[in-house]
Amino acid sequence: MFKAALRCRVLSLEHQPWKRLGLLSGLVRPISSSSSSPLSNENVGLLNLQEVEKVLSDVKADDVRVIPVRSQCAWTDFMVVATGRSTWHVRNIAQALIHKVKQKQKGADRLLLPSVEGQKGGNWIVIDSGPVIIHALDEKARAYYNLESLWTTEMESKGPDEDLKKMFIKTRRVRNG
Amino acid sequence: MIQPQTHLNVADNSGARELMCIRIIGASNQRYAHIGDVIVAVIKEAVPNMPLERSEVIRAVIVRTCKELKRDNGMIIRYDDNAAVVIDQEGNPKGTRVFGAIARELRQLNFTKIVSLAPEVL
Repeated sequence: MFKAALRCRVLSLEHQPWKRLGLLSGLVRPISSSSSSPLSNENVGLLNLQEVEKVLSDVKADDVRVIPVRSQCAWTDFMVVATGRSTWHVRNIAQALIHKVKQKQKGADRLLLPSVEGQKGGNWIVIDSGPVIIHALDEKARAYYNLESLWTTEMESKGPDEDLKKMFIKTRRVRNG
Repeated sequence: MIQPQTHLNVADNSGARELMCIRIIGASNQRYAHIGDVIVAVIKEAVPNMPLERSEVIRAVIVRTCKELKRDNGMIIRYDDNAAVVIDQEGNPKGTRVFGAIARELRQLNFTKIVSLAPEVL
């Protein structure tokens, strides 16, 4: 029993970005600067960006867009947004990505699969594979949620925030003077 | 610590403004809900001319609680308000944007959609 517990701990430390292993991963990540690239290189099971793009082009996902978000959010590096023509197509995109992960980890003792959300509905499926997050949406959902504008305008909205800080400093100086 | 009859703010642009918890989804006899739990709620106050209306019954995920959230590394997170995000039966958020800071526990509990709409993740 002890041995099993030990193995479990070792595993969970090895594969930090995988949230299947429970809360521990989330707790370790902020300390080790969650989105560090060496971690993801060690982890063979992870999908990297090239593979994701290849799978998406193989299943003919429309309008694939990769958004680097490392500078804006602490919890991931890349968002990939893709459109499917129907709910079936969206589900197929998700299936293809999971299949790719399984193939990649063939022969491993235990599979570490990314978490998939929204498989039942098929309007918006999120595959969370650590530093790369893939959103597969149908056209309606993509227009409704407008994820690209959220993650591209976020940068702009951070700009004025800094301006505000500067203004704050200036007023203080006047007061002191 | 959200229990039936607790009033919550709404942290998205779905059109609801205030919710009241009427049931916690999960175990049959669960007393309190915490961050990441799904509740059934009634809309007590709504923004006019929006799809959601007053006294409608909806599902929501709790994203902020006044009761502190403890992490294993000793970190404690406590917010000033109780807030929830309105979702549908499949877990898709009704609104398109989430406001305010959100705990990263939600990602582990498979609410990545909500986390990816949020401006800040703690």
